[in-house]
Amino acid sequence: MKKFIHLTLLVCLMACESTIYPELDAPAEIIVVDAWLKHDQPDQFIYITRSQGYFDQTEPEMVSGAVVTIKDLTSSKQYIFLESEKGYVFSSESVFGEIGHDYLLTVQVAGELFESRTHLGEVPPVDSVVFSYNPEDYNILSEYFSAEFYAQDLVGAGDTYWIKAWKNGVLLNKPSEINIAYDAGFGAGQEVDGVVFHKTIRKDYINPLVEREDRANYYLPPYDIGDSVYVEIHSIDPAAYDYLSAVKTQTDRPGGFSELFAVPLANVSTNIYTTNPNSNTAVAGFFNVSAVAGGGKRLTAEEANQLSNQ
Amino acid sequence: MKAQNKLVLTFSLFLSIVRLTAQEQVTIGGYVRDESNGEALIGATVYVNEISNGTITNVYGYYAITLPKGEYSISYRYVGYEAKSHTVELQSNSQFDVELSMMSEQLEAVVIASKAEDANVSTTEMSTVSLDIQSIKSMPAFAGEVDVIKSIQMLPGVTSVGEGAPGFNVRGGTVGQNLVLLDEAPVYQSSHMFGFFSVFNPDAVKDVKLYKGGIPAKYGGRLSSVLDIRMKEGNNKRYEVNGGIGTVFSRLSVEGPLKKDKASFILAARRSYADVFAKALTDMLEDGGLYFYDLTAKVNLNINEKNRVFASGYWGRDVFDFGETTGFDWGNRTATLRWNNLISQNLFSNYSLYYSLYDYGFSFGDSRDSFDWKSSIETFNFKPEYAWSINPTNELTFGGEAILYGFKPAVAEVINGGVTTEIDLGEKRALESSVYASNSQDFGSKLSVEYGMRWSQFMRLGGFRYHYGDTVAGIEKPLIAIQKVVDGKASDYTNNLEPRFSAKYQLSTNSSVKASYNRTIQYLHQISNINVSTPTDIWYPSNNNVLPQKGQQVALGYFKNIDGNAWEASLEGYYKWTSNQVDYIDGADLFVNEYLDAQLLSGIGRSYGLEFYLRKNTGRLTGWVSYTLGKSEIKVDGINYGSDLVNRTGKWYATSFDQRHNLKVAAFYDLSDKYSLSTNFSFMSGTPATFPTDRMTVNGYVIPYIKGGSRNNFRAPDYHRLDLSVTIKQLGKPNKKKSINDQLVVSVYNVYARENPFSIYFSQGTERQGATNVETTAKQMSMLGTLIPAISYNFKF
Repeated sequence: MKKFIHLTLLVCLMACESTIYPELDAPAEIIVVDAWLKHDQPDQFIYITRSQGYFDQTEPEMVSGAVVTIKDLTSSKQYIFLESEKGYVFSSESVFGEIGHDYLLTVQVAGELFESRTHLGEVPPVDSVVFSYNPEDYNILSEYFSAEFYAQDLVGAGDTYWIKAWKNGVLLNKPSEINIAYDAGFGAGQEVDGVVFHKTIRKDYINPLVEREDRANYYLPPYDIGDSVYVEIHSIDPAAYDYLSAVKTQTDRPGGFSELFAVPLANVSTNIYTTNPNSNTAVAGFFNVSAVAGGGKRLTAEEANQLSNQ
Repeated sequence: MKAQNKLVLTFSLFLSIVRLTAQEQVTIGGYVRDESNGEALIGATVYVNEISNGTITNVYGYYAITLPKGEYSISYRYVGYEAKSHTVELQSNSQFDVELSMMSEQLEAVVIASKAEDANVSTTEMSTVSLDIQSIKSMPAFAGEVDVIKSIQMLPGVTSVGEGAPGFNVRGGTVGQNLVLLDEAPVYQSSHMFGFFSVFNPDAVKDVKLYKGGIPAKYGGRLSSVLDIRMKEGNNKRYEVNGGIGTVFSRLSVEGPLKKDKASFILAARRSYADVFAKALTDMLEDGGLYFYDLTAKVNLNINEKNRVFASGYWGRDVFDFGETTGFDWGNRTATLRWNNLISQNLFSNYSLYYSLYDYGFSFGDSRDSFDWKSSIETFNFKPEYAWSINPTNELTFGGEAILYGFKPAVAEVINGGVTTEIDLGEKRALESSVYASNSQDFGSKLSVEYGMRWSQFMRLGGFRYHYGDTVAGIEKPLIAIQKVVDGKASDYTNNLEPRFSAKYQLSTNSSVKASYNRTIQYLHQISNINVSTPTDIWYPSNNNVLPQKGQQVALGYFKNIDGNAWEASLEGYYKWTSNQVDYIDGADLFVNEYLDAQLLSGIGRSYGLEFYLRKNTGRLTGWVSYTLGKSEIKVDGINYGSDLVNRTGKWYATSFDQRHNLKVAAFYDLSDKYSLSTNFSFMSGTPATFPTDRMTVNGYVIPYIKGGSRNNFRAPDYHRLDLSVTIKQLGKPNKKKSINDQLVVSVYNVYARENPFSIYFSQGTERQGATNVETTAKQMSMLGTLIPAISYNFKF
């Protein structure tokens, strides 16, 4: 009887899903500005594209003929981006911009002038990256190694960060792996300031979980001997925190039971605005300049041995 | 001020009625009870033949009629019970209690409607539906578990957004606009297991009544409806044990006399089988589990003929555990203390004191790094009520209510690497109070009118006031200042008059037309920007930024009984309009957020519809058909603004629970004394959902985009489902000494295994994406996409 109950409930509550092909309304094809710049990089790219039909899987085409400039509002320095095959590019000698300065992006395209402002904030260093040994658990059916980084939020409320991680040089870029921090915690309305980042931020998103092919709901160990992990902390504008938080909500849809808690589809925010107050032209995308700090480690056989013996 | 004048006018009208009663009149009053167990019969008819008029018993089974002195023949009737008639010589106020006995076994089974036989047509009440527990228990239920909340969804004007969605929507209102009362105490979350089951133990429930419109003046505080659930008092003649073994719950209840005919009790408990659900949801859970339980208890004592006291309580909890430190739990607790006092035969009073607590918690992490969040809403309430039978044509009810709220939106403890940060958004206190009076008056034998007024007031006590600046509609408002209010000091006082009116005109002995109007105010808001209501929804008081929700409704109906009262039919139309409906900016962060108000928007709503109901009360085949044609819309600046990017003026859009057609059929068929069949069929138009138009690529993520910020611009496919159940009675041979009644219920939910949509979502897939040609898909998810058989065994001795 008990088995029967389990079986029934298992079948029925394994929420079933099917792919559907609804006919959507005609796309708006709006201008999209993708301007995520990094302080520590010599070449900076800004991508200007148009949105496309939701089911259109092709790569978006670049919009050419735009005039793209960035002005350092603190030092008045101008950066002029030039159109290239890869995007609008600015090449500098070493780094781009100065930490603590404010920046204004202007994009003149399709008969409109768009603007965006952002702040290049400071970033704390990655103190260390470590591996640890774990016995088997309800996710992973064998002993395994997991990675964790240590870093401390800068003192003062309102610092926001985006933590990116690479396993063996591959960026963990699933929507579910977007890892953002508001100070050392999870949001503006709940202040956790000036301490080491919460463990969820330090650990959960930098250990990629890949489902086993032979058993559903169980995962492969995130790191094996020989694997490397590299972590970068990017300082982001608080508006970019809200934006990424929305991107995660709108794109990370694992389906199933989690649909009970799903937020209805809505547009993510943008910090790109038209300068014409009477314009009804929609625009999307985001402008942010990050300072970056990084650190990494490779799991050697020797260390693995030590960890499992501890 | 105009409204205040109306109030004065209403009261002077009452006074003039009182003066009219100066002639020699006396009152007969008393309780109508069930002979077998002493349970009060709610809504039994008491009919005085000489005046061709009568009354019905109140929720405590009490009736009172004021008549000129003389001899009267009075009959007492209740569906499913043998009627009784008595001739009474009335010279002074007198009490006359009556016990009615159930009809013989065979007849009992076929009678599904409770209440007075022709109450449908003869009372001024409209837009209300009652279900007695017998009908609720007869319906085929999901996983075989009898469910009060799911049962009322079979009635006209009541909808739900789908399986696993907690709560219910009434006439196009939100889930948070329903006042759910268990023995008068508010229940803030009526679901177990997110929404698959409701928190009310059917063994302890006596009567369920839903007010969808024409809400009497004694109820207030929510816009859309009142679901009034009354618990059994407990058999005061003999001990009785009820129980059941189902697929999800085990139930056991004990009731009996503490002192025969004087005092009784009932104690009922349910618990889910540990882990059954958790294992079904995920086979990853080995340390934790998901289980839920509830405990209901009540005692009552007849002190004397004039005084009776009741104490009742409910305690329920859901626990969702993923191990020692990670988990999620929620639960309601209520306690009610009531005193019925007959001041005189024609003046019945009741004083209720109750307490309600809803809280939930959420935690994850380990001892050095954790996140632990708790939230609660607590209510203390005092509610005196009076019913005064002035004369044969007037019955005045009046009273008041004072509710003290304590909200703790979030108390969180965050530990980062051993360093603890406490986050406390502070306790918000508020006081809601009201006084009301309502008179039910007959004008001749055909026209009856009930008119009343409720004056409600709300104020916050202490706490912080946040001031925000203006911005483009739909964008988070900038914070300007925070003002601390001295503890306990009142702020943001507001008051409203809520007129209530309903009228009945009898067209013939078996048909009538009715009309009603009500204005309702809601000072508490259920905050949730996800598709369905969940246990983590925050209850939030009105303040300087969030104004009370206001609603008005008119309804008109035609009621007819056919073939005696064997068939009941009704057709009702309603129009409802609301203001200050809460909505949210895109990307709102409602989770532990001190600056919540900045993310809230306010809009207006309207809903209208036609409800058709046909019910067969007698014969081997009983049941009903209900059909609702409805529409529910909302308009909020900053949402669904189309091409108006400059002002962002919102356009009307369908609410996420808007359903054009809603057809429900419930049928019960008695094959023999031993076997009976029942079936449910539901058809609901697909609910609206937001579909994207575009996709855009930023930073390697493929993000959906909706042209014009449209909301609910598409419809999910229709929902339909058939359920069946067979009940086999008296499995064991009845023992002569101790009669054990038992039954086996075999049910199948979703017989033809339709994959009804719960949600449709768009995503870029969960595989790691390369830089180019990212795939985007749309998926339709069904919560219960298969047929679900269930067996339950119930017993009573």
